[in-house]
Parts: sequence; C-alpha cells; structure tokens
Amino acid sequence: MNEAQFGNKVRHLLNQGLRANLKNPSRVAERLRAAREQALARQRPEAAPVHAWADNVLGTFGGWSGLTVRVMLPLVILAAGVSGVYSWQQYQRAAEVEEIDAQLLTDDLPIDAYLDRGFQNWLKKTSAEQ
Amino acid sequence: MPRRGKPLASRAELSTFLEGVERRAFKQAVFAVRDEEAALDIVQDAMLRLAESYGHRPVAELPLLFHRIVQNAIRDWFRRQKVRSLWTTLFSSLGGKSEDDEQDPLETLEAVGGSNPEELPQAGLERAQVLEIIEQEIAKLPARQREAFIMRYWEELDVAETAKAMGCSEGSVKTHCSRATHALATALKARGITL
Repeated sequence: MNEAQFGNKVRHLLNQGLRANLKNPSRVAERLRAAREQALARQRPEAAPVHAWADNVLGTFGGWSGLTVRVMLPLVILAAGVSGVYSWQQYQRAAEVEEIDAQLLTDDLPIDAYLDRGFQNWLKKTSAEQ
Repeated sequence: MPRRGKPLASRAELSTFLEGVERRAFKQAVFAVRDEEAALDIVQDAMLRLAESYGHRPVAELPLLFHRIVQNAIRDWFRRQKVRSLWTTLFSSLGGKSEDDEQDPLETLEAVGGSNPEELPQAGLERAQVLEIIEQEIAKLPARQREAFIMRYWEELDVAETAKAMGCSEGSVKTHCSRATHALATALKARGITL
C-alpha cells in the first residue's frame, strides 16, 4: 500500500469517527453550531465593487497590514519628502523676492530716480546679473 | 497578481463551509491539545477570526485560510499553557505540590466500551476500537507531521496548499507526510492493526 492509499483509508475511518469517542457529542454539536452562528454574525461586511477589487489587490500583498508596511510606507515617505522639498523651494523663492523688495523699498535713492530711463536700464541689467 | 473577478464568499457560502469543516477542525484540535473544551474554544476562536478578517475572501481560499488560522490558534493555546504552567510551577513550588498530581493528558480521551487501549488488540477488533487507536496514534505524532498528514489526507489539500497553510516548503510537506505515514503504519502494525 502506498502513502496515498494509506492516507485515504485513514481519512475514511476518521470521517466515520467524527461523532465517536466524545464525552458529550450533542453538547459538542451545539457548541460548534453556536460558534458558527456567532462567526457568521461577525462576518466582515461586503465591500463596494471598487473596494472589493482593491481589497483583492491588497490581499495579494498580505492584506492591509502587509501593504502598509511594505508598499505604502515607502510611498508615503517619498511623497512627504517631495512635498517638503517643493515647499522649501517655494519658501526660498518667496524669501528672495521679499529681500529684493525690501532692499528697493529701503534704498536711499530718491523716488525721482525711478523716472530716469537710464536708471531703469541699470536696474534690469543688475537684476539679470544676479 | 490581483484576483480580479473572483466571487467573494457570501454569508450562505461561509456558513456552508464552516458547517462542513467544523467537526474535523474540532477533532484536529483535540488531537493537538487532548482536551475537548480547549478544542471547542480553539475552533470557536478560529471561526471568529476567519469571519471577521477573511469573511469575504473568495470561497476557494477559505479552506487554506481556515486551516492556517486553526494551527495558529493551537499554537497560541500552547503558548498560553506554557505561561500558565510557569506560574503554576512557581506557586506550586511554594505550596509543595507533589509531582504525582500531574495528569496524563491521554486520560482526557474517553475509552469506548471501557476497553483498555494499552492491551494488544485481537485481529477482529471492532471498528470503534480501531478508530480510537488510530486517533491516539495520530495524536502522538510530532505536531508538524500531524498537521501535514491531516491537511493532505483528511482535508485533502494538495501539496502547494498544505505548504502555504503550514508556512513551509512543498518539500517539507512531503517529508512530514512521508514520516507521519511511516510512523502511523508502524504504530498500528505494532498494535495488530492493518488497514
């Protein structure tokens, strides 16, 4: 007899013995029925089709917890980094513009100087060089 | 690869699955923990975990998921027992408890018809006594061999599914099954039973 044949014979006997050799078979049956009903009452509610598809995808990565650890966390960190760099660049540009405006506003040049075309050209040239 | 298009388990399908598997799961837990009450708690816990966390997985995935949950629940039970026995040992050493008070776990298995399972049986044993002996020998197997043998031949999972449920390689599953079969056949033969 090979392994599969032996296993099949043991299965046949084990199935016959599902009710045998128990201290209280009816009590066991009742407890199992109650446990089944309790589990069904707590069955996870069915998600919307889009969410169900997403849930299936997430399930391939080991569920929400697996996806969070292995995929989402690096993505979140990357997104936060990119966002932070962009915000810092925007802040730097704003600070530079403020600096130039402040320098212009506090400069000792008389206001009439801004009517001088030569001075306008000089300003443009100076800004381009900076 | 995403499992698109696979129908998710309805309440009726989950109910049918649990009703079909609950008795075998209970027996398997009894083999492992040798206590009917503990086995009932384990199966109840496993059912709840399956329904709450995986209740809407595709129906085809339920057997593998459930068996993995049952095995984890059995391991959790043993871990709690270790912690409890540690505290019991600590307190009993203070109270001077005798080692004779320890109970043979096989005593929790009720013998059929008052028969003594330790006697060598005759060739014409009744089926119930044969079954009792088979269950005893299955319970004596090392845990991993028992898990592999039961999943392959009682739950009829294939090698790949069994490997996933047990968290081991397919080669390990085959090795465990082979050793379990050899051990069971040898033990049954020693007790005069030939299948």
